[in-house]
Amino acid sequence: MTTRPSPSRTPEPASFRDPESRVVYSADGEVLRELSARGREDWEAVESARFFRRALEDGRIVATEEIEPGVLRHERLPFVSYPYEWPFEMLRDAALLQLSLLDEALAEGFVLKDGSPYNVQWRGSQPMFVDVGSFERLREGEPWAGYRQFCALFLYPLMLQAYRGVAPQPWLKGSLEGIEPSQARALLPRFRRGVLTHVVLHDRLEAKHADRQRDVRSELKAAGFKKELIQANVRRLRKLVERLSPKRGRSEWAGYREAAPYTDEDAERKERFVRDAGAADLVWDLGANDGRFSRAAQAEYVLAVDGDERVVGDLYGTLRAERSRTILPLVVDLADPSPGRGWRGLERTRLEERGRPDLVLALALVHHLAISRNLPFAELVTWLRGLRSRVVVEFADRDDPMVTRLLAAKREETHESYRREEFERSLAEGFEVERREELGSGTRTLYLAKPRS
Amino acid sequence: MAPLNYLDAGSGSMLLQIILGGAAAFGVTMKLTWRRFLRALRIRRDDDET
Repeated sequence: MTTRPSPSRTPEPASFRDPESRVVYSADGEVLRELSARGREDWEAVESARFFRRALEDGRIVATEEIEPGVLRHERLPFVSYPYEWPFEMLRDAALLQLSLLDEALAEGFVLKDGSPYNVQWRGSQPMFVDVGSFERLREGEPWAGYRQFCALFLYPLMLQAYRGVAPQPWLKGSLEGIEPSQARALLPRFRRGVLTHVVLHDRLEAKHADRQRDVRSELKAAGFKKELIQANVRRLRKLVERLSPKRGRSEWAGYREAAPYTDEDAERKERFVRDAGAADLVWDLGANDGRFSRAAQAEYVLAVDGDERVVGDLYGTLRAERSRTILPLVVDLADPSPGRGWRGLERTRLEERGRPDLVLALALVHHLAISRNLPFAELVTWLRGLRSRVVVEFADRDDPMVTRLLAAKREETHESYRREEFERSLAEGFEVERREELGSGTRTLYLAKPRS
Repeated sequence: MAPLNYLDAGSGSMLLQIILGGAAAFGVTMKLTWRRFLRALRIRRDDDET
Protein backbone atom coordinates (compact mmCIF):
# COMPACT_ATOMS: atom_id res chain seq x y z
CA MET A 1 0.00 0.00 0.00
CA THR A 2 1.31 3.44 -0.80
CA THR A 3 1.03 6.60 1.28
CA ARG A 4 -1.80 9.09 0.88
CA PRO A 5 -1.13 12.41 2.65
CA SER A 6 -3.46 13.24 5.50
CA PRO A 7 -5.88 16.01 4.41
CA SER A 8 -4.82 18.27 7.30
CA ARG A 9 -1.23 18.29 6.02
CA THR A 10 0.31 19.93 2.99
CA PRO A 11 2.31 17.62 0.70
CA GLU A 12 5.83 18.67 -0.23
CA PRO A 13 5.67 19.09 -4.04
CA ALA A 14 9.06 17.40 -4.52
CA SER A 15 8.14 14.28 -2.55
CA PHE A 16 6.16 12.01 -4.86
CA ARG A 17 8.65 9.63 -6.43
CA ASP A 18 8.87 7.06 -3.66
CA PRO A 19 5.34 5.81 -2.88
CA GLU A 20 6.49 4.29 0.44
CA SER A 21 7.46 7.60 2.01
CA ARG A 22 6.11 11.13 1.48
CA VAL A 23 7.15 14.42 3.06
CA VAL A 24 4.27 16.64 4.22
CA TYR A 25 3.99 19.79 6.36
CA SER A 26 1.80 20.17 9.40
CA ALA A 27 -0.31 23.29 9.88
CA ASP A 28 2.49 24.55 12.20
CA GLY A 29 5.09 24.09 9.49
CA GLU A 30 6.64 20.95 10.98
CA VAL A 31 8.40 18.66 8.51
CA LEU A 32 6.71 15.26 8.66
CA ARG A 33 7.12 12.03 6.73
CA GLU A 34 4.18 9.72 6.19
CA LEU A 35 5.08 6.09 5.59
CA SER A 36 3.20 3.28 3.83
CA ALA A 37 2.85 -0.08 5.61
CA ARG A 38 5.98 -1.32 3.89
CA GLY A 39 7.81 1.95 4.53
CA ARG A 40 6.91 1.64 8.20
CA GLU A 41 8.33 -1.91 8.38
CA ASP A 42 11.59 -0.60 6.93
CA TRP A 43 11.62 2.32 9.40
CA GLU A 44 11.00 0.03 12.38
CA ALA A 45 13.89 -2.16 11.27
CA VAL A 46 16.35 0.65 10.55
CA GLU A 47 15.65 2.89 13.55
CA SER A 48 17.25 0.40 15.93
CA ALA A 49 20.23 -0.36 13.65
CA ARG A 50 23.55 0.68 15.21
CA PHE A 51 24.76 2.61 12.16
CA PHE A 52 21.52 4.59 12.05
CA ARG A 53 21.62 5.54 15.77
CA ARG A 54 25.27 6.52 15.39
CA ALA A 55 24.60 8.71 12.34
CA LEU A 56 21.65 10.38 14.09
CA GLU A 57 23.83 11.17 17.09
CA ASP A 58 26.69 12.66 15.10
CA GLY A 59 24.32 14.67 12.89
CA ARG A 60 25.01 12.86 9.60
CA ILE A 61 21.31 11.95 9.45
CA VAL A 62 18.70 14.61 10.14
CA ALA A 63 17.14 14.41 13.64
CA THR A 64 14.04 12.25 13.33
CA GLU A 65 11.41 10.88 15.72
CA GLU A 66 8.23 8.89 15.27
CA ILE A 67 5.31 10.97 16.53
CA GLU A 68 2.55 8.54 15.69
CA PRO A 69 2.52 5.13 14.00
CA GLY A 70 3.86 5.60 10.48
CA VAL A 71 4.49 9.35 10.84
CA LEU A 72 7.97 10.76 11.43
CA ARG A 73 8.92 14.29 12.39
CA HIS A 74 12.21 15.72 11.07
CA GLU A 75 14.24 18.62 12.37
CA ARG A 76 13.56 21.69 10.22
CA LEU A 77 16.75 22.94 8.56
CA PRO A 78 17.42 26.68 8.18
CA PHE A 79 17.57 26.70 4.37
CA VAL A 80 17.06 24.16 1.59
CA SER A 81 19.64 24.14 -1.21
CA TYR A 82 20.15 22.08 -4.34
CA PRO A 83 23.17 20.33 -5.91
CA TYR A 84 23.33 22.88 -8.74
CA GLU A 85 24.04 25.52 -6.08
CA TRP A 86 26.95 23.61 -4.54
CA PRO A 87 30.60 23.99 -5.56
CA PHE A 88 32.64 20.88 -6.39
CA GLU A 89 33.79 20.37 -2.81
CA MET A 90 30.23 20.31 -1.44
CA LEU A 91 29.04 17.88 -4.12
CA ARG A 92 32.04 15.64 -3.34
CA ASP A 93 31.38 15.72 0.42
CA ALA A 94 27.70 14.98 -0.14
CA ALA A 95 28.72 11.99 -2.32
CA LEU A 96 31.11 10.70 0.35
CA LEU A 97 28.45 11.04 3.05
CA GLN A 98 26.02 9.02 0.94
CA LEU A 99 28.62 6.31 0.23
CA SER A 100 29.78 6.01 3.84
CA LEU A 101 26.19 5.71 5.10
CA LEU A 102 25.49 3.09 2.43
CA ASP A 103 28.59 1.13 3.39
CA GLU A 104 27.62 1.16 7.06
CA ALA A 105 24.02 0.26 6.21
CA LEU A 106 25.08 -2.71 4.06
CA ALA A 107 27.10 -4.15 6.93
CA GLU A 108 23.86 -4.38 8.93
CA GLY A 109 21.64 -5.64 6.11
CA PHE A 110 20.21 -2.35 4.80
CA VAL A 111 20.58 -0.50 1.54
CA LEU A 112 19.65 2.89 0.06
CA LYS A 113 16.86 2.85 -2.52
CA ASP A 114 18.51 5.60 -4.53
CA GLY A 115 21.71 7.59 -4.95
CA SER A 116 20.56 11.18 -5.22
CA PRO A 117 22.27 14.35 -3.99
CA TYR A 118 18.79 15.76 -3.34
CA ASN A 119 18.81 13.43 -0.31
CA VAL A 120 21.48 15.64 1.25
CA GLN A 121 21.03 19.06 2.85
CA TRP A 122 23.36 21.27 4.86
CA ARG A 123 23.62 22.79 8.29
CA GLY A 124 26.26 25.37 7.47
CA SER A 125 29.22 23.36 6.23
CA GLN A 126 27.95 20.04 7.59
CA PRO A 127 26.26 17.72 5.09
CA MET A 128 23.23 15.89 6.42
CA PHE A 129 21.30 12.97 4.93
CA VAL A 130 17.63 13.87 5.04
CA ASP A 131 15.78 11.12 3.17
CA VAL A 132 15.29 8.67 6.02
CA GLY A 133 12.69 6.83 3.93
CA SER A 134 15.46 5.85 1.51
CA PHE A 135 16.80 3.16 3.86
CA GLU A 136 15.27 -0.25 3.32
CA ARG A 137 16.07 -3.83 4.21
CA LEU A 138 18.41 -5.38 1.69
CA ARG A 139 16.75 -8.00 -0.48
CA GLU A 140 18.93 -11.04 -1.14
CA GLY A 141 20.26 -11.15 -4.70
CA GLU A 142 19.43 -7.52 -5.55
CA PRO A 143 22.05 -5.02 -6.72
CA TRP A 144 22.05 -1.39 -5.54
CA ALA A 145 19.20 0.31 -7.43
CA GLY A 146 20.71 3.74 -6.84
CA TYR A 147 24.04 3.08 -8.57
CA ARG A 148 23.00 4.54 -11.95
CA GLN A 149 21.52 7.61 -10.28
CA PHE A 150 24.68 8.06 -8.22
CA CYS A 151 26.71 8.08 -11.43
CA ALA A 152 24.38 10.53 -13.21
CA LEU A 153 24.05 13.02 -10.37
CA PHE A 154 27.28 12.68 -8.40
CA LEU A 155 30.08 10.84 -10.16
CA TYR A 156 29.81 12.18 -13.73
CA PRO A 157 29.36 15.82 -12.67
CA LEU A 158 32.41 15.50 -10.40
CA MET A 159 34.42 13.82 -13.17
CA LEU A 160 33.38 16.54 -15.63
CA GLN A 161 34.98 19.19 -13.44
CA ALA A 162 37.94 17.08 -12.30
CA TYR A 163 38.89 15.75 -15.75
CA ARG A 164 37.66 18.47 -18.10
CA GLY A 165 37.57 21.61 -15.97
CA VAL A 166 33.90 22.15 -16.78
CA ALA A 167 31.76 23.24 -13.82
CA PRO A 168 28.68 20.97 -13.69
CA GLN A 169 26.24 23.38 -11.99
CA PRO A 170 24.63 24.67 -15.23
CA TRP A 171 24.13 21.08 -16.41
CA LEU A 172 22.58 19.99 -13.10
CA LYS A 173 20.37 23.07 -13.14
CA GLY A 174 19.22 22.17 -16.64
CA SER A 175 18.66 18.45 -16.03
CA LEU A 176 17.38 17.16 -12.71
CA GLU A 177 18.22 13.61 -13.84
CA GLY A 178 21.88 14.56 -14.25
CA ILE A 179 24.27 13.32 -16.93
CA GLU A 180 23.35 10.06 -18.70
CA PRO A 181 26.06 7.40 -19.23
CA SER A 182 25.96 7.99 -23.02
CA GLN A 183 26.42 11.74 -22.51
CA ALA A 184 29.22 11.20 -19.99
CA ARG A 185 30.95 8.90 -22.46
CA ALA A 186 30.93 11.60 -25.10
CA LEU A 187 32.21 14.22 -22.66
CA LEU A 188 34.86 12.50 -20.56
CA PRO A 189 38.40 11.39 -21.47
CA ARG A 190 38.48 7.60 -21.70
CA PHE A 191 41.80 6.95 -19.94
CA ARG A 192 41.27 8.73 -16.65
CA ARG A 193 40.65 6.90 -13.39
CA GLY A 194 37.21 5.27 -13.27
CA VAL A 195 36.08 6.32 -16.74
CA LEU A 196 36.55 2.98 -18.55
CA THR A 197 34.35 1.13 -16.07
CA HIS A 198 31.83 3.62 -14.63
CA VAL A 199 31.35 5.47 -17.92
CA VAL A 200 32.40 3.57 -21.07
CA LEU A 201 31.45 0.07 -19.97
CA HIS A 202 28.37 1.41 -18.23
CA ASP A 203 27.16 2.98 -21.46
CA ARG A 204 27.94 -0.13 -23.53
CA LEU A 205 26.13 -2.46 -21.17
CA GLU A 206 23.21 -0.09 -20.95
CA ALA A 207 22.89 0.09 -24.75
CA LYS A 208 23.17 -3.69 -25.08
CA HIS A 209 20.72 -4.67 -22.32
CA ALA A 210 18.24 -1.79 -22.45
CA ASP A 211 15.14 -4.00 -22.76
CA ARG A 212 16.13 -6.83 -20.38
CA GLN A 213 15.38 -5.28 -16.98
CA ARG A 214 13.47 -8.18 -15.40
CA ASP A 215 15.61 -10.89 -17.07
CA VAL A 216 18.76 -9.37 -15.67
CA ARG A 217 17.26 -8.98 -12.22
CA SER A 218 16.26 -12.65 -12.02
CA GLU A 219 19.50 -13.81 -13.62
CA LEU A 220 21.55 -11.97 -11.02
CA LYS A 221 19.46 -13.36 -8.22
CA ALA A 222 19.77 -16.90 -9.53
CA ALA A 223 23.53 -16.52 -10.00
CA GLY A 224 23.86 -15.63 -6.30
CA PHE A 225 24.44 -11.86 -6.45
CA LYS A 226 25.35 -10.89 -2.88
CA LYS A 227 25.86 -7.78 -0.83
CA GLU A 228 29.66 -8.19 -0.83
CA LEU A 229 29.57 -7.10 -4.48
CA ILE A 230 27.74 -3.91 -3.60
CA GLN A 231 30.15 -3.31 -0.72
CA ALA A 232 33.17 -3.75 -3.01
CA ASN A 233 31.66 -1.31 -5.53
CA VAL A 234 30.81 1.24 -2.85
CA ARG A 235 34.35 1.13 -1.44
CA ARG A 236 35.84 1.55 -4.91
CA LEU A 237 33.52 4.48 -5.54
CA ARG A 238 34.60 6.08 -2.25
CA LYS A 239 38.27 5.82 -3.18
CA LEU A 240 37.56 7.22 -6.62
CA VAL A 241 35.49 10.17 -5.37
CA GLU A 242 38.02 10.98 -2.60
CA ARG A 243 40.74 11.30 -5.22
CA LEU A 244 38.83 13.65 -7.50
CA SER A 245 39.87 17.26 -7.21
CA PRO A 246 38.48 20.26 -9.04
CA LYS A 247 40.18 21.54 -12.18
CA ARG A 248 39.44 25.21 -12.55
CA GLY A 249 40.45 28.02 -14.78
CA ARG A 250 41.39 31.54 -13.78
CA SER A 251 39.01 33.22 -11.36
CA GLU A 252 38.55 36.96 -11.33
CA TRP A 253 37.27 36.80 -7.76
CA ALA A 254 39.66 34.44 -5.95
CA GLY A 255 41.97 36.50 -3.73
CA TYR A 256 39.63 39.48 -4.05
CA ARG A 257 40.37 40.60 -0.48
CA GLU A 258 44.07 41.10 -1.25
CA ALA A 259 43.31 42.91 -4.49
CA ALA A 260 40.22 44.75 -3.20
CA PRO A 261 39.96 48.36 -4.34
CA TYR A 262 39.46 49.62 -0.78
CA THR A 263 41.61 49.91 2.33
CA ASP A 264 41.58 47.72 5.44
CA GLU A 265 40.12 50.65 7.30
CA ASP A 266 37.16 50.83 4.90
CA ALA A 267 36.67 47.07 5.18
CA GLU A 268 36.55 47.40 8.98
CA ARG A 269 34.01 50.23 8.70
CA LYS A 270 31.90 48.00 6.48
CA GLU A 271 32.09 45.22 9.07
CA ARG A 272 30.96 47.65 11.78
CA PHE A 273 28.14 48.94 9.59
CA VAL A 274 26.93 45.36 9.03
CA ARG A 275 27.18 44.53 12.76
CA ASP A 276 25.26 47.69 13.64
CA ALA A 277 22.46 46.72 11.26
CA GLY A 278 21.27 44.55 14.15
CA ALA A 279 20.31 40.95 14.83
CA ALA A 280 18.60 38.79 12.24
CA ASP A 281 17.46 35.18 11.97
CA LEU A 282 18.40 34.76 8.32
CA VAL A 283 20.84 36.96 6.44
CA TRP A 284 21.51 36.70 2.71
CA ASP A 285 25.01 37.92 1.86
CA LEU A 286 24.91 38.51 -1.90
CA GLY A 287 28.32 38.49 -3.56
CA ALA A 288 29.79 37.05 -0.35
CA ASN A 289 33.26 36.27 -1.77
CA ASP A 290 35.41 35.10 1.19
CA GLY A 291 32.54 35.52 3.67
CA ARG A 292 34.11 38.39 5.61
CA PHE A 293 30.79 40.23 5.99
CA SER A 294 28.79 37.02 6.45
CA ARG A 295 30.86 36.55 9.61
CA ALA A 296 30.31 40.15 10.70
CA ALA A 297 26.51 39.86 10.59
CA GLN A 298 24.69 39.26 13.86
CA ALA A 299 22.69 36.37 12.47
CA GLU A 300 21.40 32.97 13.44
CA TYR A 301 22.11 31.76 9.92
CA VAL A 302 23.72 33.28 6.83
CA LEU A 303 23.37 32.35 3.19
CA ALA A 304 26.68 33.32 1.60
CA VAL A 305 25.91 33.56 -2.11
CA ASP A 306 28.42 34.15 -4.88
CA GLY A 307 28.38 33.50 -8.61
CA ASP A 308 32.01 32.34 -8.74
CA GLU A 309 32.20 28.56 -8.20
CA ARG A 310 35.84 28.64 -7.19
CA VAL A 311 35.33 31.36 -4.59
CA VAL A 312 32.43 29.45 -3.05
CA GLY A 313 34.51 26.26 -3.05
CA ASP A 314 37.30 28.07 -1.19
CA LEU A 315 34.83 29.56 1.29
CA TYR A 316 33.28 26.15 1.92
CA GLY A 317 36.78 24.72 2.56
CA THR A 318 37.45 27.39 5.19
CA LEU A 319 34.06 26.98 6.84
CA ARG A 320 34.44 23.18 6.84
CA ALA A 321 37.82 23.49 8.58
CA GLU A 322 36.20 25.77 11.17
CA ARG A 323 33.25 23.35 11.52
CA SER A 324 30.91 26.28 10.91
CA ARG A 325 27.22 25.45 11.30
CA THR A 326 25.85 28.93 10.68
CA ILE A 327 27.07 29.98 7.22
CA LEU A 328 25.85 28.13 4.10
CA PRO A 329 27.91 28.96 0.98
CA LEU A 330 26.07 28.66 -2.34
CA VAL A 331 26.92 29.21 -6.01
CA VAL A 332 24.24 31.46 -7.49
CA ASP A 333 24.51 33.87 -10.39
CA LEU A 334 22.21 36.67 -9.21
CA ALA A 335 21.51 37.77 -12.77
CA ASP A 336 20.32 34.20 -13.47
CA PRO A 337 19.28 32.75 -10.09
CA SER A 338 17.93 29.22 -9.54
CA PRO A 339 14.48 28.94 -11.16
CA GLY A 340 11.58 26.61 -10.33
CA ARG A 341 12.44 23.21 -11.79
CA GLY A 342 10.97 19.72 -12.24
CA TRP A 343 7.32 18.72 -12.38
CA ARG A 344 5.14 21.85 -12.75
CA GLY A 345 8.22 23.88 -11.82
CA LEU A 346 7.49 23.08 -8.18
CA GLU A 347 9.82 20.20 -7.35
CA ARG A 348 12.83 22.46 -6.91
CA THR A 349 11.77 25.94 -6.01
CA ARG A 350 13.20 29.34 -6.85
CA LEU A 351 15.83 30.69 -4.50
CA GLU A 352 13.50 33.49 -3.37
CA GLU A 353 10.77 31.01 -2.38
CA ARG A 354 12.88 29.05 0.07
CA GLY A 355 12.85 31.33 3.07
CA ARG A 356 12.57 35.04 3.61
CA PRO A 357 15.70 36.83 4.84
CA ASP A 358 15.55 39.42 7.66
CA LEU A 359 18.56 41.26 6.31
CA VAL A 360 20.19 41.32 2.87
CA LEU A 361 23.79 42.39 2.35
CA ALA A 362 24.61 43.73 -1.10
CA LEU A 363 28.18 44.92 -0.63
CA ALA A 364 30.37 45.67 -3.64
CA LEU A 365 27.64 44.18 -5.78
CA VAL A 366 25.58 46.93 -7.41
CA HIS A 367 28.30 48.13 -9.79
CA HIS A 368 28.97 44.59 -11.02
CA LEU A 369 25.30 43.91 -11.74
CA ALA A 370 24.62 47.37 -13.14
CA ILE A 371 27.68 47.61 -15.39
CA SER A 372 28.84 44.06 -16.21
CA ARG A 373 25.31 42.64 -16.45
CA ASN A 374 23.55 45.84 -17.65
CA LEU A 375 20.93 45.59 -14.89
CA PRO A 376 19.06 48.89 -14.45
CA PHE A 377 18.97 50.30 -10.89
CA ALA A 378 15.17 50.20 -10.89
CA GLU A 379 15.20 46.45 -11.70
CA LEU A 380 17.69 45.73 -8.96
CA VAL A 381 15.74 47.73 -6.38
CA THR A 382 12.47 46.04 -7.40
CA TRP A 383 14.08 42.62 -6.94
CA LEU A 384 15.53 43.57 -3.55
CA ARG A 385 12.18 45.07 -2.53
CA GLY A 386 10.53 41.72 -3.37
CA LEU A 387 12.64 40.06 -0.66
CA ARG A 388 10.74 42.20 1.90
CA SER A 389 13.77 42.59 4.09
CA ARG A 390 16.07 45.35 5.31
CA VAL A 391 19.14 45.82 3.13
CA VAL A 392 22.70 46.98 3.59
CA VAL A 393 23.79 48.13 0.16
CA GLU A 394 27.01 49.67 -1.07
CA PHE A 395 27.27 52.07 -4.00
CA ALA A 396 30.57 52.82 -5.74
CA ASP A 397 30.85 56.12 -7.68
CA ARG A 398 32.02 56.44 -11.27
CA ASP A 399 35.51 57.47 -10.17
CA ASP A 400 35.99 54.38 -7.99
CA PRO A 401 38.90 52.31 -9.44
CA MET A 402 36.76 49.18 -9.84
CA VAL A 403 33.93 51.09 -11.53
CA THR A 404 36.40 52.83 -13.84
CA ARG A 405 37.75 49.42 -14.83
CA LEU A 406 34.28 47.99 -15.48
CA LEU A 407 33.21 51.04 -17.48
CA ALA A 408 36.34 50.89 -19.60
CA ALA A 409 35.12 47.60 -21.06
CA LYS A 410 31.81 49.16 -22.21
CA ARG A 411 30.71 51.72 -24.77
CA GLU A 412 30.76 55.05 -22.97
CA GLU A 413 27.11 56.07 -23.43
CA THR A 414 25.77 52.67 -22.29
CA HIS A 415 26.09 53.57 -18.62
CA GLU A 416 25.61 57.32 -18.59
CA SER A 417 22.95 56.92 -15.91
CA TYR A 418 25.37 55.10 -13.61
CA ARG A 419 25.47 57.93 -11.04
CA ARG A 420 24.93 58.13 -7.33
CA GLU A 421 21.88 60.45 -7.63
CA GLU A 422 20.23 57.97 -10.00
CA PHE A 423 20.91 55.09 -7.65
CA GLU A 424 19.60 56.99 -4.62
CA ARG A 425 16.45 57.96 -6.53
CA SER A 426 15.76 54.30 -7.43
CA LEU A 427 16.57 53.10 -3.91
CA ALA A 428 14.18 55.66 -2.41
CA GLU A 429 11.33 54.30 -4.54
CA GLY A 430 11.45 50.90 -2.82
CA PHE A 431 13.17 51.64 0.49
CA GLU A 432 13.40 54.16 3.26
CA VAL A 433 17.04 54.90 4.04
CA GLU A 434 17.72 54.66 7.78
CA ARG A 435 21.46 55.22 7.77
CA ARG A 436 24.08 56.35 5.29
CA GLU A 437 27.85 56.30 5.66
CA GLU A 438 30.52 57.38 3.24
CA LEU A 439 33.71 55.31 3.33
CA GLY A 440 37.14 56.89 3.74
CA SER A 441 38.02 56.29 0.08
CA GLY A 442 35.41 58.94 -0.80
CA THR A 443 34.11 56.83 -3.70
CA ARG A 444 31.87 54.41 -1.84
CA THR A 445 28.72 54.83 0.26
CA LEU A 446 26.87 52.39 2.51
CA TYR A 447 23.11 52.53 3.05
CA LEU A 448 20.95 50.72 5.60
CA ALA A 449 17.39 50.76 4.31
CA LYS A 450 14.04 49.20 5.14
CA PRO A 451 11.39 48.33 2.55
CA ARG A 452 8.56 50.83 2.13
CA SER A 453 5.22 49.42 3.23
CA MET B 1 9.43 -12.16 -7.12
CA ALA B 2 10.35 -9.47 -4.56
CA PRO B 3 8.83 -6.01 -5.15
CA LEU B 4 10.76 -3.85 -7.57
CA ASN B 5 12.32 -0.53 -6.66
CA TYR B 6 10.63 2.79 -7.35
CA LEU B 7 13.73 3.73 -9.32
CA ASP B 8 14.68 2.09 -12.62
CA ALA B 9 17.99 0.52 -11.72
CA GLY B 10 18.92 0.00 -15.41
CA SER B 11 19.85 -3.49 -16.71
CA GLY B 12 23.31 -2.38 -17.83
CA SER B 13 23.94 -0.72 -14.47
CA MET B 14 22.93 -3.90 -12.64
CA LEU B 15 25.25 -6.07 -14.75
CA LEU B 16 28.09 -3.60 -14.32
CA GLN B 17 27.81 -4.04 -10.57
CA ILE B 18 29.09 -7.61 -10.97
CA ILE B 19 32.25 -6.38 -12.69
CA LEU B 20 32.69 -3.67 -10.06
CA GLY B 21 32.30 -6.25 -7.30
CA GLY B 22 35.97 -7.23 -7.70
CA ALA B 23 37.09 -10.58 -6.26
CA ALA B 24 33.69 -11.16 -4.66
CA ALA B 25 32.20 -11.29 -8.14
CA PHE B 26 34.16 -14.30 -9.36
CA GLY B 27 31.65 -16.97 -8.31
CA VAL B 28 28.66 -14.96 -9.52
CA THR B 29 30.26 -14.31 -12.91
CA MET B 30 31.09 -17.98 -13.36
CA LYS B 31 27.57 -19.04 -12.43
CA LEU B 32 25.98 -16.42 -14.67
CA THR B 33 28.18 -17.43 -17.61
CA TRP B 34 27.51 -21.11 -17.03
CA ARG B 35 23.74 -20.56 -16.92
CA ARG B 36 23.88 -18.53 -20.14
CA PHE B 37 25.96 -21.29 -21.76
CA LEU B 38 23.39 -23.92 -20.78
CA ARG B 39 20.63 -21.73 -22.12
CA ALA B 40 22.46 -21.29 -25.40
CA LEU B 41 22.65 -25.09 -25.71
CA ARG B 42 18.93 -25.22 -24.80
CA ILE B 43 19.71 -27.42 -21.77
CA ARG B 44 18.12 -24.74 -19.51
CA ARG B 45 14.97 -22.74 -20.25
CA ASP B 46 14.84 -18.92 -19.91
CA ASP B 47 12.32 -19.07 -17.09
CA ASP B 48 14.27 -21.56 -14.90
CA GLU B 49 14.87 -19.59 -11.75
CA THR B 50 17.16 -21.82 -9.73
